[in-house]
Amino acid sequence: MAATVDERLAQAFVELADTLVAGYDLIEFLQTLAGRCVDLLEVDAAGLLLADGRGALRLVAASTEQARVVELFQVQSDEGPCLDCYRSGRPVIVSDIRSARAVARWPQFAVAAREAGYAGVHAIPMRLRDQVIGTLNLFKTAPDGLDPAVVVAATALVDVATIGILQERSVRQQEVAAGQLQRALNSRVMIEQAKGVLAERLRVTPDEAFVMLRRYARDHNHPLTELSGDVIRGTVRITSDK
Amino acid sequence: MAGERAARVWAWIAAAGEGDPQGSLAPLCRAAAARLGVDGASVTATSGPAVREPLSASDELSTWLEELLLTTGEGPGAEDYMFGSPVLIADLEPVTERWPGFAPAAVAAGARALFAFPLQAGAIRVGVLSLYRAQPGPLTSQQLGDALAFADIALQLLLDSSAGISALAGYHPLNGLSDSRAEVYQAVGMISVQLGVTLEEAFVRLRAHAFAASAPLHDVANDVVKRLLRFAPDPEPST
Repeated sequence: MAATVDERLAQAFVELADTLVAGYDLIEFLQTLAGRCVDLLEVDAAGLLLADGRGALRLVAASTEQARVVELFQVQSDEGPCLDCYRSGRPVIVSDIRSARAVARWPQFAVAAREAGYAGVHAIPMRLRDQVIGTLNLFKTAPDGLDPAVVVAATALVDVATIGILQERSVRQQEVAAGQLQRALNSRVMIEQAKGVLAERLRVTPDEAFVMLRRYARDHNHPLTELSGDVIRGTVRITSDK
Repeated sequence: MAGERAARVWAWIAAAGEGDPQGSLAPLCRAAAARLGVDGASVTATSGPAVREPLSASDELSTWLEELLLTTGEGPGAEDYMFGSPVLIADLEPVTERWPGFAPAAVAAGARALFAFPLQAGAIRVGVLSLYRAQPGPLTSQQLGDALAFADIALQLLLDSSAGISALAGYHPLNGLSDSRAEVYQAVGMISVQLGVTLEEAFVRLRAHAFAASAPLHDVANDVVKRLLRFAPDPEPST
């Protein structure tokens, strides 16, 4: 029998809580969370963007590494529902990005989203008390909006992401929160560099390199960011199994 | 917007730079001290947690604090090295136990608040920007954002001076590392393998290539990732 949405949500929380053990890798955790968003919220792509402290949003995890979709998340540092959500602190639900109103508001983003095949573009704020630290971005191919129950579930998932990023000790101090955000962003950069190193060594694409990195990290119980540092330094050699 | 903030900070640095060679760190330290509500700023090069080389400082106390940090091996800047996150100490007095060699001496010399920003992008780590203030208290969120932008520019100036481009006419540090997208970092990783060099050196080569070609860094990086462009090691000098 198919599990209900509530049952699947409960399962996802259990799974995410299990990964929040000592020494967990934050980016791996956020990747898992982005993947669960697609399953649970019945959307086609999900991405988590963090505020970089300088006024821009940066992608730290996505349910897909497909370059076109990643670009679509990234471009919202300049313009798009995510940036509006970040600035207002409120969810931004756009059922059809092709509508005249959406095109007038985000001319460049609307074109890019349409070319990538998406109609629905939704953004949920990631909050720490009165501070917005990032957004969850959800893309749908169908222009049928986002059910209010799905918005509630997405908000719960975003709260779990906030806990994972800031960790318990951080919640007391805004300054420590700023440090944790920089650390998360820096982890992502290190993983991108390791993808490049591995892609060149093994003659694969960066996306394939990422899959190999994550698989090796899981199989060897080696945190993803730490593994990335080891691959860059050459102290861990991942070989192609092709 | 991040671009506007970076442009504003670069304008501050340029305005503080009369008489200094273009691309030098001295005006950056002076502008940081003047604009971030602090009393001093310094930039120190690091290669590994134990190797620190002071490069520039806005005042004598900043220089002295860097030396103290080096001799004691304690303090912000020593600890932040591994993590890539800023260390923000609004008041040094309550943390003397954390750094018994460093904190009491720093407070006695007149520094109550200390803020250290690693000059880092992933595994690329070249130094640290340190700020101190005589009065305790946190940075405002505006000052914190500006300080991060100062650190981004300091990182770029250090790498670009290695590339030999920071002293050239028309040099501009923007749109380089700080607002880079994933492809730039992937390309840096690929180039480091192509040339057998560190990520720092790979970034310097990518940046120099983009500058010479008058092409956006992101476009050159895309060509590298799509394998339309390869970097070749310099040929061995023949004998």
